[in-house]
Amino acid sequence: MNLTIENITKRFGDKEVLNINRYDIHSGEIIGLLGNNGAGKTTLFRILLDLLHADSGTTTIHGILPDGSHVSFDTARSEDWKRYTGAFIDSGFLIDFLTPEEYFSFIAKVNNIDSQTLSQRLKLFEGFMNGEVLGRNVLIRNLSMGNQQKVGIIGAMLNNPQLLILDEPFNFLDPSSQLAMKYLLENYNKETGATIIVSSHNLTHTFDICTRATLLEHGRILKDYQKDYATLTTEIEEYFKWNAF
Amino acid sequence: MTLSQARIFYRLISHHQHLHAHRHPMFEKNMFVKAFSYIFIGFWAVYLMMLGFFVYEMFSQSAIEAFDVVDGYMIFLLAIDFFLRFGMQETPAQDVHSYKLMPIPIRFLLDVFLVRMGLSIYNFFWFFFLLPFGLLAVVKFYGFVGLLSYLLGWWLLFVINSMWYLICRTFVNRNVYFLIVPILIYAALIYMGLFYDSSHAWLFDVGVWIGRLFVERNPLMYVITFALIVPLYAINRKLQYISVYTEISRKDRVHKYKSQHYALLNRLGTIGEYLKIEIRSIIRNSVVRKQFLSGFYCMLAFCIIFAFTGVYDDMPMMKIYICVYCFSCLSIMTLTVVLCAEGNYIDGLMARKESILSLLKAKYYFNCFMMIVPFLITLFPIVKGKLTIAEALGCAFFTSGVVMPFLFQLAAYNDSAINLNARITKSGRSTKTQIIFSSFALFLPMFIMYTMVTLLGEDIAAVCMISIGIIGTILHPLWLRNIYHRFMRRRYTIMDGFRNSR
Repeated sequence: MNLTIENITKRFGDKEVLNINRYDIHSGEIIGLLGNNGAGKTTLFRILLDLLHADSGTTTIHGILPDGSHVSFDTARSEDWKRYTGAFIDSGFLIDFLTPEEYFSFIAKVNNIDSQTLSQRLKLFEGFMNGEVLGRNVLIRNLSMGNQQKVGIIGAMLNNPQLLILDEPFNFLDPSSQLAMKYLLENYNKETGATIIVSSHNLTHTFDICTRATLLEHGRILKDYQKDYATLTTEIEEYFKWNAF
Repeated sequence: MTLSQARIFYRLISHHQHLHAHRHPMFEKNMFVKAFSYIFIGFWAVYLMMLGFFVYEMFSQSAIEAFDVVDGYMIFLLAIDFFLRFGMQETPAQDVHSYKLMPIPIRFLLDVFLVRMGLSIYNFFWFFFLLPFGLLAVVKFYGFVGLLSYLLGWWLLFVINSMWYLICRTFVNRNVYFLIVPILIYAALIYMGLFYDSSHAWLFDVGVWIGRLFVERNPLMYVITFALIVPLYAINRKLQYISVYTEISRKDRVHKYKSQHYALLNRLGTIGEYLKIEIRSIIRNSVVRKQFLSGFYCMLAFCIIFAFTGVYDDMPMMKIYICVYCFSCLSIMTLTVVLCAEGNYIDGLMARKESILSLLKAKYYFNCFMMIVPFLITLFPIVKGKLTIAEALGCAFFTSGVVMPFLFQLAAYNDSAINLNARITKSGRSTKTQIIFSSFALFLPMFIMYTMVTLLGEDIAAVCMISIGIIGTILHPLWLRNIYHRFMRRRYTIMDGFRNSR
């Protein structure tokens, strides 16, 4: 799935939090969205997912589906794109009084995934869950933050979305789960050709998986890097160092 | 702590309480509610003043003095005052929570909150009644000084009542079933003291005696009353202190949940999944459960009064009106906050196509299903011939086809999430729209009933209710979709409100 953002602006009161003239994301890319707190990453995600109203501009999801048909959706005007999109931003995506099994089953049913397929898909996440999520008979809200994060991410990926949006997916995860997460995203991208957008403060992980990195500052795109590990690490680390001192 | 420090802290905390009210996310939205509550208080003030004059007039010619009559039945006034406090007064433990890590002794904080509670303007509320009444009934015998001492005595009684309320409220916060204790105490006092022995209503005599001692400025009476406040204050101080630490140190017990699959609901496809969510939300979220149970018990109370007593037998309009309430009470109490629980995970729902529409449908079917309970109970009056089956069906369909569509409109306006499992709960704040819609849901049936029963008679009114109700019920996919479209038009405002309030 391709994503086109045109003339998106957003203000909270007097403060401009987002101002992007044009930003194109191409099918199959893994985008790393980088920036300090307040750079506008989550705001951008919320606008992309039609969870927040942009003051101006449009976001369009378009591309060719696996069945060969061509689709194009303005995210604010249609709901059809939701079928091809998976997202996890924060706990507001989790129905936390369900057990993980009930939550996955709910997502599967509303996406017309039968229980056999669900079991098969959940098997793919066994390593990532590391035996701490399923079969414990506890509610999502009683899981640790890391395991809640895992439930949210798996929930976002269950319907094999063509566009996957994850906000800070490495947060709360232990080192093993962070590595599993990286493997999972890279593998998913290779197998399905899906477009993945992740925001993260973890530069190493982001550099490792992304094919392109975009640096946001005060709601504007400061720089857009195609993957070139040397440039990425040097320039972006320089940027954050300069900001820190 | 020095006296000047105590004074500074007292002012600071008072200021914080003021800010807390004014900077609450719902404050702006609640300007209407504020205006509404001023009008409401104004109405009651005028009503109580009129009542003061009326009660004096009624007993001015009786063998005993009017103020003796009021004092004799003081238990009723104190009982009403006690139960009204549940909607107005919080426990200090809820306020102390914010200061627990500050270098201010918790006992001092509790003192501040308890003193503020004692001096609360609410303890003067009944003066709207007592002042005009006292001016007419007391002044002519004891002068203005007598009136002042009379009012001072009553104020002390209300302070005692507020302390007693606080003890009960603390236990009710832990378990709602504790509410039965004050209910039983007041009921037992009223029955044993006023009705058990018709020749000697000892509670009446005690009330008269207390009132007389106040009005005659008996210092011992004031000392005794004050002496009652002191241990109640001490008990509250201790209880609130324990309560603060119980709340802070309490760990959520992690229950093991064996998933119920609700296989029957699987046949309903996507709607069935949302029905499962609805049922699990009620079972697993304490706030949602309390809301549901309050509505359910209210519904049961209406049904039992209607089915097994003869209170409304001679009033045809009231009979059908109360019958409608038997069916709609639960919906009115739960649907006023429709989608407010879902506000906690609204982003997840909005990430899926038309999930809100499916959720609304599930909620509608659930509420319709719950009408089985009042229907079964109303079979008793049907068998006894108090109610016709047409009237019962009319009330049921009127609820599903008229009252519910009305209440579901709130789905397009509610934008304040409720905390699903609040450890420390504050009284909920209703929004303007919630007040308007729930008021209409309460009074619209009365208006329609009145019009129909007066113009058409009971039987034709029942047929009309069935017809209107069936049309509304059959058309539910249409009006639910309409609500959904309006929800989608306002979605950004609604989602923003949910995020700010959770």
